[in-house]
Amino acid sequence: MRGSVRSWKTARDLLIVVYIRTCRMNTVTGSVRSLLLSCLLGSGFSGEAEEGSVSTPLANTVISGQIDSLTGQEQLRLGFDPVPATEEYQVQFAPALDGIFTLLGPATNGFQWTGPVGSEPAGFYRVVPRQLSTNELWATTLLYRIAYGPTPDDEERVRQLGPEAYLAEQLNAESVPETLDTVDATPRWQRITATGLGSSSRLYVYLDGPGDVYLDDLRLVVGTSDDGSRPNLLRNGGFESALGTDWNLSPNLIGSARSSQFVKSGSASLHLVSTEAGETQGSSIYQVIAPALSSSQTYTLSYWYLTSDQAARLTLRLSGSGIVNTHGLSGEANSPAPLFSKLKGTTATRADLRAWHVLRAIQSPKQLHEVLRQFFENHFVTQVSKTQDYFDGRGYDTPDPEYFAVRTEFVENFRWREALLKPQVTFLDLLKISAESPAMIVYLDTVSSRGDGNNVANENYARELCELFCFGVDNGYDQQDLVQISRAWTGWRLDILDPANEFNPLAARSTTYLDPTATGTGLNANTNVVGVWGFRYRSDRHNSRAKYLFYNWDANGNRLDSKKVPARFGAPWAGQDYGKILPARTGAAGLQDGYDILAHMANQPFTQEYLSVKLCRLFVHDGFAHGYDFTDAETTPEEELVRNCMLVWENATPKGQLRPVLQVIFNSELFRKHDASLQKARTPLEFAVSTLRALRARKPDGTYTAETDGYSVYNFMNRAGRMRLFDRAEPDGYPEDAPGWISAGTLAERLRFVQSALMPAGMEGKSDAGANTRVDVLGLLQAKLGSAALQDPAQVTDYLLTTLFPAEGHANLQAYRAVALQFLNTADDGVTASPFANLSPGSPAHDQRLRGLVGLLMSTQRFQEQ
Amino acid sequence: MNILSRRSFLSHSSKLGLGAALASLTDIPLVMQRALAEGTIGQPGPNGRVRKLLFLFLRGANDGLNSVIPLADSAYLASRPNLALTPDPLQPVARIGAAFYPEAGSVAGTYGHPYALPLGNGFAALHPSLKFLSPLYNAGDLALVHRVGYPKQSRSHFDSQAYWETGAPTDLAVKDGLLYRAMVESGLANTSPLTAVSIGSSLPLILRGSKAAMTNINDPTRYSLLSIPNTVPGNSKAAAALAAANAARFADKRERDLLELQYKNLSETLQLFAQLKFEETDNTFRDDVATDGDTDWANANGGGYYLFPTTAEKNGGWRRTSGNRADKYVVPTGAHEFFERLKAASIILNNTDAIVAGVSIDGWDTHSDQVDAKNDTTGQGSHTGSHAGLLRRVGWSLYALQKYFTRYANKCRWDDLAVVTLSEFGRTSMENSDAGTDHAEASVMWVAGGNVKGFEPGTLGGVKRTGVWNCGGEGDRVIPWVTGPTGSMFRAEDRYLQRNTDYRSVLGKIIRDHLGASPEQLNRIIPGYTQAGESLQRGGVQSKDNTSIIGEPDLI
Repeated sequence: MRGSVRSWKTARDLLIVVYIRTCRMNTVTGSVRSLLLSCLLGSGFSGEAEEGSVSTPLANTVISGQIDSLTGQEQLRLGFDPVPATEEYQVQFAPALDGIFTLLGPATNGFQWTGPVGSEPAGFYRVVPRQLSTNELWATTLLYRIAYGPTPDDEERVRQLGPEAYLAEQLNAESVPETLDTVDATPRWQRITATGLGSSSRLYVYLDGPGDVYLDDLRLVVGTSDDGSRPNLLRNGGFESALGTDWNLSPNLIGSARSSQFVKSGSASLHLVSTEAGETQGSSIYQVIAPALSSSQTYTLSYWYLTSDQAARLTLRLSGSGIVNTHGLSGEANSPAPLFSKLKGTTATRADLRAWHVLRAIQSPKQLHEVLRQFFENHFVTQVSKTQDYFDGRGYDTPDPEYFAVRTEFVENFRWREALLKPQVTFLDLLKISAESPAMIVYLDTVSSRGDGNNVANENYARELCELFCFGVDNGYDQQDLVQISRAWTGWRLDILDPANEFNPLAARSTTYLDPTATGTGLNANTNVVGVWGFRYRSDRHNSRAKYLFYNWDANGNRLDSKKVPARFGAPWAGQDYGKILPARTGAAGLQDGYDILAHMANQPFTQEYLSVKLCRLFVHDGFAHGYDFTDAETTPEEELVRNCMLVWENATPKGQLRPVLQVIFNSELFRKHDASLQKARTPLEFAVSTLRALRARKPDGTYTAETDGYSVYNFMNRAGRMRLFDRAEPDGYPEDAPGWISAGTLAERLRFVQSALMPAGMEGKSDAGANTRVDVLGLLQAKLGSAALQDPAQVTDYLLTTLFPAEGHANLQAYRAVALQFLNTADDGVTASPFANLSPGSPAHDQRLRGLVGLLMSTQRFQEQ
Repeated sequence: MNILSRRSFLSHSSKLGLGAALASLTDIPLVMQRALAEGTIGQPGPNGRVRKLLFLFLRGANDGLNSVIPLADSAYLASRPNLALTPDPLQPVARIGAAFYPEAGSVAGTYGHPYALPLGNGFAALHPSLKFLSPLYNAGDLALVHRVGYPKQSRSHFDSQAYWETGAPTDLAVKDGLLYRAMVESGLANTSPLTAVSIGSSLPLILRGSKAAMTNINDPTRYSLLSIPNTVPGNSKAAAALAAANAARFADKRERDLLELQYKNLSETLQLFAQLKFEETDNTFRDDVATDGDTDWANANGGGYYLFPTTAEKNGGWRRTSGNRADKYVVPTGAHEFFERLKAASIILNNTDAIVAGVSIDGWDTHSDQVDAKNDTTGQGSHTGSHAGLLRRVGWSLYALQKYFTRYANKCRWDDLAVVTLSEFGRTSMENSDAGTDHAEASVMWVAGGNVKGFEPGTLGGVKRTGVWNCGGEGDRVIPWVTGPTGSMFRAEDRYLQRNTDYRSVLGKIIRDHLGASPEQLNRIIPGYTQAGESLQRGGVQSKDNTSIIGEPDLI
């Protein structure tokens, strides 16, 4: 008996060839023969390619085979390792290598194929994986990386549009229409639905502050959706008759009344007028529902509301929060618009800022813009609590120092956002915004650093400017440079400025006073001066002597020659002098020191390299590092990509434009192929946002199948690795790599978050993702599959697998598919058969089964990736 | 399962550049790893118990000169006009004997004593916020090692923390953690669900590596899955389905080995933690004496202070004063979260087979306003402020750990435990214009435990052996602290304390003589440990920067 196995990959396609030569061994039992053949297969595995049409052996594929004649028929079993993004593994046979391969069938049962041995005693088998096309793969990676993961609607859209057009659209964010931050000027009726358990028979309606809203057509029905066919359990939900005893008004809502001015249907609506925040029965408009609801039954509440722009938020809930729904009252429900209005004012908290950030990440059609803004916010990291401490020490109890601190974060983010919408935006543009930001001036201590007289300047900003913002650690600078730069960064302080002077560091302190009659220091006390806190340059704190950046020095402190760009950079950079002398400057001219340094450093090859590496790590994979030798013979695709990024950075006019660099990355082979696909783990922010996006489809009534108010997500991000947006203590920003985020403890939090997000309101554990984080799985399936498929476990499973794991390939998801079908078709004990087809859509059991399945699929290892 | 597939192992290990022995250990069947491992890390000794390690990482760089203070150095006061502590008029630093412990009794605030506390070696003193270290020191359970650093010191937080954690200074090629390697060497890393744990926001580098998953725990009370679809947490349907899904095979991707390991770790930890009590209501651990001389509180509450101050009510002598006096607390109220973590770490070490646990304390980067009273040249107020608050965490931690592992010991007694602090570098000996200090070089390490060789009293009030190294104590015999403006506090540019001990010598001593690594293992855990030019073991000249170092301090 002889046999051999060989494997090759053709230039065109992946090809695994198994050559098996068997001879009839009727006297040997099947098991012994299996063993013999396995050994031979193993020994023949390293065979070399012989044919001109095939190229290198496929090193990572293991092939095993055995003949099993227990059934009396000889069987051949081929086992192989998975190949990325495979939709189907086709097994083919040919009697000779140059013969015609005929399809034997697709592999089933994991990565195995079993079939009869060919009629010939010897033959060739090959397994041909049918993978996602290059464009399909590129499209999924784009959705994972330039967006916060795909939404069901985006997946369809990008499939139609093609990856190239989608990329072009996202790169040119300024041309994408988007009005998320704009309050809808023409009020229109909007519908809200919420599903949950009948925790109580009392329904509360209230605002969280002064304001008013029109409500109409309140309905509460049994089931997880309301198609209008089931009876309304609320009395007088359309407010067509007097409120009477149906609706009880608490004192803070006593001004509420029926109105015929605006109506959704019929002849009247409820005009709810609130003087102060409601919370419970005694501060709400409430109805006692009769007959009483069942606490084990699922109900759906729906209503229409109409309002004009205002800050208050509306809540409708059952006592006990079995059903609870809170949303803003301007634009669409859960729109970032009211938060944006609040952030532009002077009373926003860090929670408001985070909620705005999260809502934009989920909802914005300018996804790449959101991803980039987060990247630069994290690159130029600051810490809102440190800024708050700074203001806290300056006499502010009211208004809360948090408001001032949050405003500094909002302003820098707003400025980055505006800058990133410019087609020719450069790294220097963004760097300047960071340097001028009051948040940064406080964060790295320039606010109190002095260089006048014998004062030793604080090195903190200088160090991070070199190490973390521009050059990268140990890349082109030394301690002497930090000392020199720190001297330049003296006098960069904060003060209260007239709003018109917010971005004028040379303006004088504001002289608008709250109480102009105050005397002495009282007149000039921070709390008596009206204006905004902004960057103000103090020449009397500045070190006005000359500075010598990036020079060499001898041991005695004598200046030698300029530093030169190391040879490893190659042309056009190697050997260039990059020393920079700043002349002695007094008075306002000293401000220029800082700007000269920023302009000088922003386009040095060290900065080009460090930022290119960081962008590649963000968008491609984590295996990039600065310090490549671009001149030696040894190179990798990663090194080449970084060099290509640097070249377009260098050659653009003006230098340092971001979009050409991004173009290079997104069009690179590395990005478009398997080297990038699914090679990164999601950060907590990416995980939370992409979880909700993955289930967020627009329903025919204009609402969405996954919603959050934005606030609820923060607790998760904090627990899953302390990702406190806008409040990072360490200046290196939050990590991009998986080991920084993935451990048993953070995985526990991730699993709890998805499971909680999938829960209906009122269940124990719902607080993990927050009551206002809601998912309507049935609505999603209805919108995408139609009603006929809602009881078909295979259709449901296949749709969810494709939607949640679009880059994995169908054939590779077979194990998940089997687990999912088992889940759908068993009762809550996981053992007893309970066919999904027998559950009626909308029933609690059907709803729970579906939610459980999605929670399960999102709890798997593969959902941690992007 | 693709965790330990041979090809992924090979592709990873070739990048690591570490000894082949370590590599081969992870590549052999799991059940054989312990049997083939050398040394005794994680192995019960004759008393049936395992030697353990708890590390506290002081992230941000601790000002060692404001912790163990060279009070007798004339340059100290001159270099730090705002920060320096005033010598105690009643407790001269020249005195020889035990460390001074100013018990507050029932009247004064816990930290009412404003002066540096002489350590009784004639030279050094403790910051008064470290007063709870005095009883530990006097019991011989504490080693204070000054002037600790490494050659070619980086003054970047991130580089320097990475060097402390990888155990390979200035070598960025070593990507995995020093204690991770110690756990791999134990042979238990892949078979025991808990070998090393960190309690914090994410797994620190010192425990990170790609061949075995050390556990990070953010909040141990949240170790349960919600398990929809049922309303009952812990329902088995979802857990079983997830376990089945986790067994699926997939094509190789960069993060898949890590995910596989950490999911496995998650499921094992879930089972283990179901048995332990981490809730606040179970935090009943108390001192066995009237803490800090506070008999009022002890009488009213039937014992000493709570060891783990996780709430204001459990934080020191809260009944002592009726007003809201901050000085009734043993630690700042902002430290409650840290003590929650320290408690979890202690419970885990005490009740499971875990060998190493670690917790971080952040906020040591005191560039500005390190003390409350800026520009106060009288020195009043220099005993309070942000750095003092941080020191109180350390002082009370070590005191509380000694009590916990003595009074509540189960699997781990105080004699079995070594507690060590890590901090990436020291701070400038000269203060800056903001009453703060900037990044510099050498700093202090604290090592505590029943197995530590510290202070021993001599006859007639003398000292047989001090618990201080390199600040007027042990180590100074070899490389003395030179006082004055040109002395040991000063080096390049007049403001960097020069090292005379390598942190690797301290950790090496502990890992070999306490945890039980063989000398060969130690060479792999700390690469190049016995290389001649390093002088880590026996001392001598470090060849990389021609600096004399003392080698291993004799503290175990």
